[in-house]
Amino acid sequence: MKLDPRTKMVMVLCLSGLALLYNTPGRLLLLLAVTVAILLLFRFDLGAIGSYLKPFLSLMVFLFVIQCLFAPSGRVLLAVGPVPLATTGGLLTGAGVVLRIVVVTAAAMLLATFNARDFILGLVQWKVPYELAFMVFIALRFLPVFRDELVNVVTAVQLRGIDLKKVPWGQKIAMYRRLLFPVIYGAMLKAQRLAVSMEARGFRVYPRRTYLRRLNFRFVDYMVLVIFPLITIVLILLQLS
Amino acid sequence: MSFLEIDHVSFTYPRHDKPVLTDVDLHFDQGVITALVGPNGSGKTTLTRLMIGVLRPSCGEIRLERRPLVEYSLGEIGRRVGYVFQNPDLQLFCGSVAEEVGFGLANRGCKQETVMERVAFYLDYFELKDYADVFPLHLSQGEKQRLAIAAVLANDPLFLVLDEPTVGLDAYRKRLLEDYLKKISRSGRGMVLVSHDTAFVDRVAERVVILEKGRVIEDSGRKGKAADEA
Repeated sequence: MKLDPRTKMVMVLCLSGLALLYNTPGRLLLLLAVTVAILLLFRFDLGAIGSYLKPFLSLMVFLFVIQCLFAPSGRVLLAVGPVPLATTGGLLTGAGVVLRIVVVTAAAMLLATFNARDFILGLVQWKVPYELAFMVFIALRFLPVFRDELVNVVTAVQLRGIDLKKVPWGQKIAMYRRLLFPVIYGAMLKAQRLAVSMEARGFRVYPRRTYLRRLNFRFVDYMVLVIFPLITIVLILLQLS
Repeated sequence: MSFLEIDHVSFTYPRHDKPVLTDVDLHFDQGVITALVGPNGSGKTTLTRLMIGVLRPSCGEIRLERRPLVEYSLGEIGRRVGYVFQNPDLQLFCGSVAEEVGFGLANRGCKQETVMERVAFYLDYFELKDYADVFPLHLSQGEKQRLAIAAVLANDPLFLVLDEPTVGLDAYRKRLLEDYLKKISRSGRGMVLVSHDTAFVDRVAERVVILEKGRVIEDSGRKGKAADEA
């Protein structure tokens, strides 16, 4: 199915909005199923979602455990003396947090089904200033760059002979803390180089910018643009009532 | 038995149809400098990344010291094989040049004095002494390249894989690198170097393997003085 990039952006906003609003695993699972169905409709390779989520797996496990421990409610399933470690409510809240991350990531994958030029073009045709649209695009582009940077550092550290699995947690955290600043600074240097390169190619030199292509909504876009937000608003109202 | 064996390896990147490497069968021995040459996109860097376990073969097997590479952790491979990335920016991650050179040794529990001694030696050899406290990514391309090589050599690996080690180096520094690599080779350690620098390859390599479109089209085998001595 072919849709205008702007239509897909609206779909992402609706799906992500609902994911942030919903807090029960049941509804989030349903939302995930809808998101996956949409991605399949666009012939998106679902394996890519897994590879995007893989680096955040430990964070998700951490959040799940934290929610289990610090949001106890319902029936106690596991306890150490008077302290409940796992409760039915805590498990559901934990599962909700993890599912929310998965839904937002999966929804964002819709943005990967069209090219960056169309993304900027779509925003510009919505009267978003070009500079701002380009900034949003660069910010989105830098997320995977930053992720790759972290993966590279972890690989490079191991290739210097350090077996991260065998390093005690305290030492590992200290090592990561020491590496964090150079990684962030490295990303900033890259951003700086990118800015110089953009300016060297005439970014913002002329007040007016022309575009070779124009995006045009088709009938199916108008349908989705009406139906999708409408369903979202109804679901939000139902959730709030 | 060879130190590193690539046994009928093919590799295709995920979500790609075309294989980058097809049925590559190569064995690398200790004490031999092998150059891997070929045009851009022939699969040289992919092959080196397979050799250090960052990528896994789609079919075939790679063995390090007779054990399948998949049985090693990256850390275990790193202790045996030193890898210099094609782009040094990808392997520099510390806050200063001196820390970068000593990182592996310090984190593997070497004594502070030993670390300092080794760091001082490599900073001196690769003429980076004046930059000891500089942030590595602030260095020029050639300096970064020298630092990446120094940081790998400081770990004293059994085998080396160098992807384009001469990029950004001037003639004098190339000569320094050449001398050092030959010295390492004489001490019985092997290495594979990927390079487009034909003059450097001619001077350093004892064996040349040519890759084209993901296949080995020529393997000179061990040649020259070293082979005669062996």
